[in-house]
Amino acid sequence: MREPDFNVLATRLLKNGISPRHAHRTVNELRDHYDDLVDAAVDEGANSKTARLRAAKELGTMDEFVAQMSSRRELKMWARRYPRLAVIVYPIACLAILPAMPVFLGFAHRTALMRWSASLLAAGLVTAVLLLIMQLSIILG
Amino acid sequence: MAQSNPPFMSGVPELLLLRLLNEKEMYGYELVRSIKQATQEAISLGEGVIYPVLHSLERNGSLKSKRKTVSGRTRVYYALTKKGRDRLEKLRNDWSRIQGGVATALGATTNA
Repeated sequence: MREPDFNVLATRLLKNGISPRHAHRTVNELRDHYDDLVDAAVDEGANSKTARLRAAKELGTMDEFVAQMSSRRELKMWARRYPRLAVIVYPIACLAILPAMPVFLGFAHRTALMRWSASLLAAGLVTAVLLLIMQLSIILG
Repeated sequence: MAQSNPPFMSGVPELLLLRLLNEKEMYGYELVRSIKQATQEAISLGEGVIYPVLHSLERNGSLKSKRKTVSGRTRVYYALTKKGRDRLEKLRNDWSRIQGGVATALGATTNA
């Protein structure tokens, strides 16, 4: 029995559609559980390597754990629980958000946008003044 | 997880977890130890099996959880809610009914 790789387990749970909230929390709980098992084995006199191996065996295989989690629909992401609805809702949500994106982006980069607007205004004013001078020179000249 | 229990044990972990959490709030490792102790190791759950059950019970409102830091380790403690107590009562009644039925059937078979 190999020592469990909890990062791989988290990735596998997410790939199987488990919601990130449940996936990460379960992995953290399982990691703590494993540490408790190792501590208990060490307290019983096992050396570090034996304790880890024993703890991994008691915890069980990652395949079984992924299967247990995946069999529970209520722990899955919304889109995995209602795939047909997701197929309809996601494109509509994207279409609704798309026109609003420039506004959101503008707000997020408002400082740069203000600078850009001020530069454009200044350039416009300079051009207008130059055109006015040229116009006046034609009229008065 | 460890394949220590036959398929007809389906639903038993839920009943045991609710029963133990009815007494006091506990975290995962503590719950597994309590189940082993309470059942005199007749029921030895795969250690990781309880987490999907706990999360499902929390999801349907039977349990609530809170984080506590104990000896530098973050523990998620689970406690029973009102809905959980109702569910425990229902499962307990279901279990007694099934247990009675199976005992009667076994008795009848033995006597036959």
